[in-house]
Amino acid sequence: MECTEKAKLNTAGAVDTTPRHRNPLILEIKGNSLDDGPGIRSVVFFKGCPLSCRWCHNPESKSTGPGISHDAAECIDCGACVKACPERAISKKNRYFIDRDKCTLCYSCVATCPSGALSQVGNAMTVDDIIEVVSKDIPFYNTSGGGVTLSGGEPTMHMEFTAQLARSLKELNVHLLIETCGLFVYEKYMDLLAPFIDMIYFDIKLFDPVEHKKHCGADNTIILENFGRLHKDYQTGGTYILPRTPLIPGITDTRDNLTAIADYLSSLGVTKAALLEYNPLWGVKCEKIGEENPLGPEAQGRKWMDRDHVEQCRSIFRERGIEV
Amino acid sequence: MNVIVKKKKSSMDLLMRSLLNMVSFIFNHIPSKRKYLKTAEGWADLAVGIRTENYTVECGIVFRDGSVSVTDTIPDGRDVTLVINNDTAVKKLLSATPTDQIFMLLKSELRVDGNMTSMLQFFFLLSLLLSKKQIKQMNKERVTETKDILKNSPKERKDLAAEVNSRKQKLMKAERIDPGVQFLDDPYLPEYTLDDFPRLRKFLDIHLTRKPEVCPELPSLLTQWHRDHGFETNEEGKPWVPALRKAGAFRYLMENRKPIITDDYIIAGSTTSKEIGCVVYPDGSGTFLWNELLTIPHRTYNPFDISEETRNLLHYEVFPYWKHRNFREWVRDKYDNPLSQQMDERYALYFNWKQATISHTIPDFPKILSQGADGIIAEIRDELSRGDCDEEKRNTLEAMVLCLEGLILYSRNLARQAALDAEKESDPDRKKELLKLADICGQVVGGPARTLDEAVNALWITWIGIHMESMNAGMSLGRLDQWFQPYFESDMKKISGPDEKKAYIKHAVELIGHFYMKCTDHFPLTPDLANFYFGGSSSDQAITLGGVTPEGNDAVCDMTYIFLKVTEMLSIRDPNVNARYMPGINSDTYLKRLCEVNLITAATPSMHNDSAIIKALAPMGYAMEDIRNWSATGCVEPTLSGKHLGHTNMQMMNMVAALEMAMNNGRHPLTGLDIGPRTGLPEEGDFRTFDEFFSAFTEQFKFLIDSSIDYNHKLGEAHQYIRPTPLLSSLIGGCITKGRDVTQGGAVYNSSGTAIIGLADVTDSLMAIKTLVYDEKKITFTDLKQAINTDFNNDPALYAMVTRKVPLFGSGNDGAVGLANRIASWAHDYYGSLPHYRGGKYTTGFWSMSNHVAFGTLTGALPSGRRAGKPFTPGLTPQPSASKNLLDNIRDVARLDPVNMNNNIAFNVKVVPGAGDPQEKIVEDMFSYAKTYFDLGGMQMQMNVVTSDILRDAMAHPESYRNLLVRISGYNAYFVTLNRDMQRELIERAEYDI
Repeated sequence: MECTEKAKLNTAGAVDTTPRHRNPLILEIKGNSLDDGPGIRSVVFFKGCPLSCRWCHNPESKSTGPGISHDAAECIDCGACVKACPERAISKKNRYFIDRDKCTLCYSCVATCPSGALSQVGNAMTVDDIIEVVSKDIPFYNTSGGGVTLSGGEPTMHMEFTAQLARSLKELNVHLLIETCGLFVYEKYMDLLAPFIDMIYFDIKLFDPVEHKKHCGADNTIILENFGRLHKDYQTGGTYILPRTPLIPGITDTRDNLTAIADYLSSLGVTKAALLEYNPLWGVKCEKIGEENPLGPEAQGRKWMDRDHVEQCRSIFRERGIEV
Repeated sequence: MNVIVKKKKSSMDLLMRSLLNMVSFIFNHIPSKRKYLKTAEGWADLAVGIRTENYTVECGIVFRDGSVSVTDTIPDGRDVTLVINNDTAVKKLLSATPTDQIFMLLKSELRVDGNMTSMLQFFFLLSLLLSKKQIKQMNKERVTETKDILKNSPKERKDLAAEVNSRKQKLMKAERIDPGVQFLDDPYLPEYTLDDFPRLRKFLDIHLTRKPEVCPELPSLLTQWHRDHGFETNEEGKPWVPALRKAGAFRYLMENRKPIITDDYIIAGSTTSKEIGCVVYPDGSGTFLWNELLTIPHRTYNPFDISEETRNLLHYEVFPYWKHRNFREWVRDKYDNPLSQQMDERYALYFNWKQATISHTIPDFPKILSQGADGIIAEIRDELSRGDCDEEKRNTLEAMVLCLEGLILYSRNLARQAALDAEKESDPDRKKELLKLADICGQVVGGPARTLDEAVNALWITWIGIHMESMNAGMSLGRLDQWFQPYFESDMKKISGPDEKKAYIKHAVELIGHFYMKCTDHFPLTPDLANFYFGGSSSDQAITLGGVTPEGNDAVCDMTYIFLKVTEMLSIRDPNVNARYMPGINSDTYLKRLCEVNLITAATPSMHNDSAIIKALAPMGYAMEDIRNWSATGCVEPTLSGKHLGHTNMQMMNMVAALEMAMNNGRHPLTGLDIGPRTGLPEEGDFRTFDEFFSAFTEQFKFLIDSSIDYNHKLGEAHQYIRPTPLLSSLIGGCITKGRDVTQGGAVYNSSGTAIIGLADVTDSLMAIKTLVYDEKKITFTDLKQAINTDFNNDPALYAMVTRKVPLFGSGNDGAVGLANRIASWAHDYYGSLPHYRGGKYTTGFWSMSNHVAFGTLTGALPSGRRAGKPFTPGLTPQPSASKNLLDNIRDVARLDPVNMNNNIAFNVKVVPGAGDPQEKIVEDMFSYAKTYFDLGGMQMQMNVVTSDILRDAMAHPESYRNLLVRISGYNAYFVTLNRDMQRELIERAEYDI
């Protein structure tokens, strides 16, 4: 599924990647988030993303399809799943415990696992299901000035569904923020989703299109275009937009890249941006879903960032009048 | 009870008897030891039996008329028998330190059958022979333990201590001014820090570094008076009227105690004769110290100094006199060691506080401030002059007059002392202060207070008096912001210039600061047992701020913020500051300030929702204006200020013991007590449905409740005889008109409040049984029971299932909240249905002081997957594993019905600020949690704002964290004074990043 979507993206240049046939899968709804927008928020993580960034901190969110995860640290080695699996896909001898070629995702093993080490990745939820979960926290949103953050994955990949959800939340007066990679059809976004969104966190990862394609699997022309248009919209009284750049060691945190982004933002009159510090813990997440941990044991990516280095990155923006 | 098969005597018997022979030889022949047998009451008269449960050891030692002999059997007419589990435990006991002895008692390796005080006396005599060795061993244990902890975190994290300290430097400004604030330009008072009050800094330093000392004054004067005037009968041989006897002794004590104006204080008087003293109440739990008289300065937790003179006084003069004249032994003697008392003394089922004191109430301070003691005496005389006084009324009222006179005599002595000190004083500023104090004490406490200085001094003098009558445990101060505000206002109105006004506000802050520090001049005298049970607890003098007035209006005023400023600057554990918040009436500005102070102090104030408390108390039939005038008492419990004897900490009830008994057909596993009703065994298939098991649980719980209430009533009777409290009665509404002491039900409102421990643990355990055994049938009850018996070591898969697949209380699950409400409602209804010896009702609270740790230690593995010996959750706080999302916890706790929790709750939340987050953001987040929780109907909340890393560092490097404050469950303590188990429990609590 992921490949065909990417193919569509690459050939057509247009980016309508919405799978129309069914509801998107939801990875998780995380309550009490204090770092994904103002106040106390619930974050809805959609599954599936048009980009495929090498460092993606939620590797399980890249594909739109369902999956299965095995957390070796939680496993108590009781063997119940081995017996439960009708496809004999589970064995300690398998590199990632489950042989995903044999697995049909029947989830018999998940049902028997006593420890919760095995879990289903991605749940089909209806708009009402999601509303039921997040509406419990409306009193907290109200006192704190918080709300719901749509994140992922990429929430705009499922524009109709997301729009429906956003409309229903708006009817409950919930503040809505979207975290996006920026790769979507602008008109469709403006038409369907924008009327309900109160705030946009917009990722600009790499400025150079070639580098972007190399590391993120797609060209960034549309992303930058979208940003420019949305920012203009903001300047003329539209929705607030905050550009964000994840600092990935050796990839996005280079002086060249950050200078290029900062120059670009400054040329548009942006005065505030966010730099997201690298978190090295994502590597192990890959193994849980049966993918190789791309970080070798000695890789730079295993380490947290150096304080001074983060400060240097920030100063590139500050020098251009952008608060970070 | 179990049937015991007597076994043949073992070699341990021989060993024990040789040891006793040696003891008897020493006391018979060595004068330096023998002298300890001769007390002011004559020769120590003591017969102690010693045996194992199955009689492999059986012998005794008898001290009579100055000679000591050893017996082969339990001596006739023995005072007490030590029953030791088995030979191994005998061996252990022979080399035990006093702390070890207590632990053996707690862990049921040893039980006491008979007079507990006699046992402690016997242990003291033994420690005369063993103390050098014991002290050496105690020191060695301490050193080893410290080394072990240092090994884990050898490097001190200066940055962590610095982070906590730096919170004081970044003070917020108030956004708005509350309607009741008339004189403060910025109610947060951000212009002041402790640096502006050098005297307070000095007092604080003394408080944190000075080792408290046992004060002999009260027991000495009290014993002296009773020796002269009698206890059971007076000089003429007639039976004493208890209230008049107590009043005579009290008046003598107040008149003859030393009037002290402590250096640099602007408040006169002290609770003890020491700089920081521990008061010994010999009629309460004082004699519990007997066995520790030699070792108390050397113990690890809360060591106290004791002079040779005090030790001798207590051993020779005081304790022998009170050996039978204390609550516990009075009940034992009168009711022949009743089962309900024996159960209490196993320490694993319930602990009834009346064995030490009642205290736990709020006197009517506004009355004595506005009328003076003279005014109250006049009121009493007026009542006496009516023709309708029965004898009890006349005696009760006369006793009150004697006590109030005692209070006045003490304040006159203070006035005289202040004048004398002023004469000798060379510093002119201080001289002026002393002369002012002499004037103040000349006016109050006899006359009414006219200024804030007089009001604070009058309140302090009264407070001292109350503590000379009742133990310093949980007696509480009430709504001091409300009661001082009129004096502050009237003083401020007399001042015209802005600079003068500013200076006076600063003076008010300093005055309240002095008052806080005065409240720390005494410690409760904790025996080592209490270090285990109530570790690090202060006297828990609760102050209550804010909320609504009796009429229902916003009560937040200038003094509210002055108290909060002092709380913020001093960060001390006592007074225990509680803040009321009424949604819709109290401002966001006020609630934010509470959160800011909580952040800066890391642990205080505790916050309460007025609307939930009102809902909880409304069905009690109290008048609404009195309910709205409630104050927190001791920890968190509501008392209707000045009109209510609610003995709100009447007991700590281990509800989990009932669950254990329900799984064992009425037998309690740790103690081996097989006394509960026969409700069946899971492995016999006796419970066909979950409801059948639930009934077994409530049957056992009922049995424990009935026993504990039986003991409470007997202790209540002991209080009526041994310690009526006429002074307190004169300050509690209803007593004067009724002519009855508070211990006799004189107050307008009467009740006794419980602290039920383990609501989350019991709910989760029952959820596990219901979900896995009955609803989903994934496991059998027999399997579960077997796993519990092996502490889950036999079946890791079952353990995983129990801990991961059961929706817990605090996870947002309706079933779990429903079950918690069902349990709480059952407890409330049952306690509420029981008759009460003073009239009124039993109320139910779900907080735990620190007993969730103590009772946890004494409890086996639970169906919830909690391992044997681990602490329960504090108060009714959900398990850390219930949810990763704090909001689930908050929502679930808020969904508990307040009606069932009319003695309040303790909901602990440990929040952790992100590194580098601006302080205002942290306060905003805390505010959002608290406000939403209260909007949702939550009753009480207390936040600890520390990380586990900080606590671990403090455990290893206590010197950098002397006043690191933590909330246990209802009270504050300095983390570094807690026992290790409690420290670990705090570290392991769930923490939520903010």
